[in-house]
Amino acid sequence: MAEAVAAALALFLVPHRLGMMLLGIMAGLMVGVLPGMGGIVAVAVLLPFVVQLDVISALAMLTGALAVVHTSDTITSVLIGAPGSAASVTTVMEGHPLARQGQAARVLAAAYLSSLIGGLIGAVGLTLSIPIARPLVLAFGSPELFMLTALGVSFAGSLLGKEARRGVIAGLLGLLLGAVGPSPAAAQLRFTFGQIYLMDGMDLAIVALGIYGIAETIGILSRGGAIAERIDLGQGWLQGLRDVVQHRWLVLRGALIGMWAGILPAIGATAGTWMAYGHVVATSKDRSRFGKGDIRGIIAPEAANNSVEAGDLIPTLLFSVPGSAPAAMIMGALLAYGVVPGPRIVQQHLDLIYAIVWTFAAANIIGAAIMFLASPLLARLTYIPFTRVAPPVILMMLLAAFQETQHFGDLIALLALGVLGYAMKATGWPRAPLLIGFVLAGPLERYYWLTINLYPDPRSWLLRPAVIVIGLLLVAPFAWSAVQALRRRGAAVQSALQRVRWKPSLGTVVSVGLLGIFAYAWLSARGFLVGSSLMPLSAAVLGTVLCAVQVVQEARGRSVPVGDEDELGGADDPSARRGVQRALGYLAGIAACTGLIWLVGFRVAAALWVLVFMLRVARMRWTRAIPYTAAVVMALELLAGVLSVRLPQGLIGLFR
Amino acid sequence: MKQAALALAVVLVAAAGLAPVQAQAPYFAGKTIEIFVPFGAGGGTDIETRFLAPFFERHIAGNPKVLVINRPGGGSILGANFYAANAKPDALQILATSGSTVIPYILGVPQVQYDFKKWKLVKVNGVGAVVYVNPATGIRRPEDVLKPAQPLVYGGIGAANLDLAMLLAFELLGMNVRSVMGFEGRGPARLAFERGETNIDYQTTPAYLSQVAPLVQERKAVPLFTFGFTNDKGQLVRDPAAPTLPTIYEFYQQVHKRKPDGQLRWKALQGLLNPAFTFQKALWVPQGTPPEALNALWDAVDKMNADPEFKEKSKNVLEGYTLFRGDKMEGAVIKSLRVTLDVQKFIKELLRTKYNVDI
Repeated sequence: MAEAVAAALALFLVPHRLGMMLLGIMAGLMVGVLPGMGGIVAVAVLLPFVVQLDVISALAMLTGALAVVHTSDTITSVLIGAPGSAASVTTVMEGHPLARQGQAARVLAAAYLSSLIGGLIGAVGLTLSIPIARPLVLAFGSPELFMLTALGVSFAGSLLGKEARRGVIAGLLGLLLGAVGPSPAAAQLRFTFGQIYLMDGMDLAIVALGIYGIAETIGILSRGGAIAERIDLGQGWLQGLRDVVQHRWLVLRGALIGMWAGILPAIGATAGTWMAYGHVVATSKDRSRFGKGDIRGIIAPEAANNSVEAGDLIPTLLFSVPGSAPAAMIMGALLAYGVVPGPRIVQQHLDLIYAIVWTFAAANIIGAAIMFLASPLLARLTYIPFTRVAPPVILMMLLAAFQETQHFGDLIALLALGVLGYAMKATGWPRAPLLIGFVLAGPLERYYWLTINLYPDPRSWLLRPAVIVIGLLLVAPFAWSAVQALRRRGAAVQSALQRVRWKPSLGTVVSVGLLGIFAYAWLSARGFLVGSSLMPLSAAVLGTVLCAVQVVQEARGRSVPVGDEDELGGADDPSARRGVQRALGYLAGIAACTGLIWLVGFRVAAALWVLVFMLRVARMRWTRAIPYTAAVVMALELLAGVLSVRLPQGLIGLFR
Repeated sequence: MKQAALALAVVLVAAAGLAPVQAQAPYFAGKTIEIFVPFGAGGGTDIETRFLAPFFERHIAGNPKVLVINRPGGGSILGANFYAANAKPDALQILATSGSTVIPYILGVPQVQYDFKKWKLVKVNGVGAVVYVNPATGIRRPEDVLKPAQPLVYGGIGAANLDLAMLLAFELLGMNVRSVMGFEGRGPARLAFERGETNIDYQTTPAYLSQVAPLVQERKAVPLFTFGFTNDKGQLVRDPAAPTLPTIYEFYQQVHKRKPDGQLRWKALQGLLNPAFTFQKALWVPQGTPPEALNALWDAVDKMNADPEFKEKSKNVLEGYTLFRGDKMEGAVIKSLRVTLDVQKFIKELLRTKYNVDI
């Protein structure tokens, strides 16, 4: 092993290979910054160039890109609140509120350092686990994978927010969204409304962009002004670095969770990030700041989302079972060079594996360094009036969503989820459980089904040692809270919510709407086949009951819809009501833009919409709005060209 | 000068026996070809198409730019429907298909709005597959499959998909196998086999050679048969990548001491073998595409097969199977898509009664 490590170093330290790695890193950083675009786009952009290179250079380039995508996606998530990729939603939740409070520099510094360390831990972990990974991975059978996903779902329990009922309902809604499309258990399509678009289910990137990206953008716009009101760039950097040192064990734990989520083929990168986040929240004593900007909620997931990419290489290289699309594409490139992933790779190409490990580690360091240098500049973006930044950001999100299937349904789905996301944000529904439910719905249902069918006798899987251990981990936090609740019983009653006179509001619309969704799901899930109805039917029944209770409690004034902290005031506050009205206006604006794209195609629609937005909303003068619009349109065009991204075509074919 | 060029052109045409070639820039010069992949990035068809794209750029006369565009959805039905509705006969948009695009077409799934008969075949290539069992099943000789030492469990993705060939093979041989559907791919299904959760499995021959052959050496797996390969005469022969293993046709004879011919079950399996394996990956353009464009594409396939770099690099990606010119194979491919009504009915009935799938 030691010779292979040294041999790999010699292979790796060749100037033109380092050059290729740098190119890969630059591409990865650039794609990472774009909202909603992640590793797939980065690898796809590089693949045509890779064919002309030798195998080590090719791997250096691709690994370099993949290693840093989750370093740079932090920028977009923190500054704009639009997830830079699906795995960085937790960074939006915790980092963006801090950026609003003027702490962008601190968040970015902490995030880069955690990403860097997470990536390095991933590289070390990869090195150490290659000899033992095969038996280890095979030790996790379907029951263990099911229990692990269940553990992940239970982490959502610590993210429920102020009112547990709302959190549970949001999580159930996530499970329902995740159930759209084909059932893993039986050949049956669910909740597709006859639309072929929905036959493969909802896309994670679109859900993340809609529920967080669009909703946050609308939120900032309707508040008006810039993203951050206060400026304190100077001290922030040091503070961020200090945060990481202070929470060093969190970095380690996050990185290890991420790596394991990558190694096990069922869980996936996004779920790994969420598990790291849920773990931090679940193990923290003071949870009051989570969701409103807690640095701990940035450190662990940022470490996890870099190490997950390293972990992902294990099933890819040792089993030829890639855990993610970018890993699959790297595998395809390897095949072209005659390197066949599988049990023999350790004997035949160990030097190559270590060359990948070296690249991964080096790229993490270089990528973080570049972002450190670039960020003071980028952090200043938060002081520009947001109306000037929003249109290109929104157009980028529409474009990113459209890349998923290049069907107009992508845009409609994004818009619908954006409306849902904003409605939840404005009326005090936590969105984190929804995302966790959505991400884990598939593996949870799949591995439950496989477990009960592969192990027809329940004792044969329930009594497996690993299942018992994970089961205890799963139950422990609930038992602990139950004990604590019993102890505090007296105090809890007194702090019960104050009764408020009920008035119909947006909150009522949302609650009743959710009740309708769950009731509809209940009715239609009754007709599903046995295997495929289990999860959606249980989610729908429970959701209907809880929603009904919620509506009644709201009518009795026991549960007041209060927006996220950054939304103005309570329901009675007239300025809040104006904010909601403005937000609805902006949503209508995005809907109009989507309609325009449908009619005349992306190019013309983008130009028209940006121009109108600049004149009407940002109140620019003609003389400035026209060059600004031209610049935005040209930049998008350039980007589409470089990334070979497809632009939506309109009904009327102008400027195809 | 002009006359000389004309003379040269005439000589070239005569020599190659092609349709008249115009003595002007090649059809694809300065153009961009988009290959639509109706699957997500990172899948088998995507990886193969992305591998082929630069070689097409090099070998299509006029060196067009070749882009790969993923348009996934509906298990490839969405992308293929889109292509059928929108592609113009100019060969600038090409559709990539796999067995998953063909099987719903064969079964007459109502969502399918595309028709292979309205397209021209650019290239086709296939892959074989090997079925193997866990030694704990006690299966040593072919006839043991009828009385295994422990119940057989198979892990599949979904009955109405590529697993169908496997289910029909069980049916043909008269094997009693419990099929558990729900795996997300053949890779995870193989992991379940390695963990001992299932004890009968199949992999494409290349995956078998790289992933399962080491297990066979360690006596953790026993190969049974391959699905064979159809040669250019339309006969089922041994898989060129695994020539020591019997085909399902031979294996049936070893088990039952007679030929399967004439049985509806065999006809059904036969009907699926070509679309699912031998003709699995294809590229198509709409009918009405100008002949010079078609010729340029077909010639590119020949040039690729002669390119030493392509030969070297394609060994693993195309998995050792030949890339065929479309014009040579189109008749056979289109013929393989026609399944007689009794076979369609048999398959639907089997899916409905045994696997709870209603099409």
